[in-house]
Amino acid sequence: MNELTCDIGYKSINHAGEQLCGDHVEVVEQEDGSTVIVLADGLGSGVKASILSTLTSKIISTMLAAGLSIEECVETIAATLPVCSVRGVAYSTFTIIRLIRNQTAELIQYDNPQVIVLRNGENWEYPRTETTIGGKQIFRSLIRLQEDDVFIAMSDGCPHAGIGMAYNFGWKREDIIKFMEAMSLCGYTAKNLSTLLVDECNKLYGGEPGDDATSCVVRIRKRVPMNMLFGPPSNRDDGERMMNLFFAKEGKHIICGGTTSSIAAKWLNKPLRPSLSFEGDIPPIAFLEGVDLVTEGVITVNRVVEYAKDYIGDNRQYEAWSNGKDGASMISRLLFEEATDINFYVGRAVNPAHQNPDLPINFNIKMNLVKELSEALKKMGKRIKVSYF
Amino acid sequence: MKVTVCIGSSCHIKGSRHVVEQLQDLIARDNLSDKIELGGTFCMGKCQQGVCVTVDGEFFSVSPETVGTFFEKEIKARV
Repeated sequence: MNELTCDIGYKSINHAGEQLCGDHVEVVEQEDGSTVIVLADGLGSGVKASILSTLTSKIISTMLAAGLSIEECVETIAATLPVCSVRGVAYSTFTIIRLIRNQTAELIQYDNPQVIVLRNGENWEYPRTETTIGGKQIFRSLIRLQEDDVFIAMSDGCPHAGIGMAYNFGWKREDIIKFMEAMSLCGYTAKNLSTLLVDECNKLYGGEPGDDATSCVVRIRKRVPMNMLFGPPSNRDDGERMMNLFFAKEGKHIICGGTTSSIAAKWLNKPLRPSLSFEGDIPPIAFLEGVDLVTEGVITVNRVVEYAKDYIGDNRQYEAWSNGKDGASMISRLLFEEATDINFYVGRAVNPAHQNPDLPINFNIKMNLVKELSEALKKMGKRIKVSYF
Repeated sequence: MKVTVCIGSSCHIKGSRHVVEQLQDLIARDNLSDKIELGGTFCMGKCQQGVCVTVDGEFFSVSPETVGTFFEKEIKARV
């Protein structure tokens, strides 16, 4: 166990007019703490390409995670993939990034654009060794991880962006590197880096991509713990114990809920000062010495869940929460961008005032919010611990 | 005089934002900002009667529609 962790994010855009993407990214975590990421690009576009790339990435990630060799994976793929009736070949290119215990990265690349590695904000041409497996030319590399390393895997839809439109020969690798070098220094998450890259491709394609384009970004970073308190305990006498546990944890502290923050204020023996500045339609935040952020409960958290679901999907609402001054945006920035390990302290008290059928909030919704939020955060690659009181 | 408006979940849904904004406007209109301190608080535990407002500790139930009369009767009259 070391201090490093991997932030993994990816995004695809589809060939204009296609509903399915011919690229596929698969992320599999192994029990020993290693992670296998496969980015596969199927031949052509649409449903055929989608099947090829999905099969390829699933087979490789499952087999590698089970400890089988890359040779066996490649042979299995060659034997399994359906042969394209038009072109007479079964074909899907792939890039594998295997992160071994957050210490080493193994890259295995077959015919996709070469993975870009940024170290200390600059492009690093890492050593590669060439091997031939089943007639396929495969490049392998072993890289010792350092904090702030950024790995960028792409499908060829990225360097092909803008061919014949913005650029004669597409978006050249050197230019992609320059673009990403500048972006990598701004503290963006892996998901946002991949979104920026793919959105730029879409722009170069003039909004009508001539190929599926995918990027998958891995950012190596230090672990950052964070703690969030949500709701008063079901048994009043547990308030003391809940606060003791919550405030004993290292990392930033977020408190959601009016009653909950009043309990915390009492425990800290400090005044709770709600602000009256309304930002958008989210209730105002409050200030409490010793707590990094105090917000209202269900309405705010409900918005955070909305942002979280969007973030792991199309990532369209990023601009709303990356700059917003309301409680939901502030929580989103702390949880999505800053934290890697999050402890939730959830109180199960039923607020009688909320059990009114006229109000869109009730106990079940509250418990569901916690579940949905922790699931979404797990999909972002964060370690989540939930304790109920 | 201290006027406190609940900005908790329940009162928020019932329109505490409008109550706060209208009170801010009315106080500014009548030049009472040096006499009235407007503040927020989280849940007062009377969500059924929201939007909850207290004037020097005395409880009132206000809605966005009744802010005007509430201001004239309970706040302006007492200043």
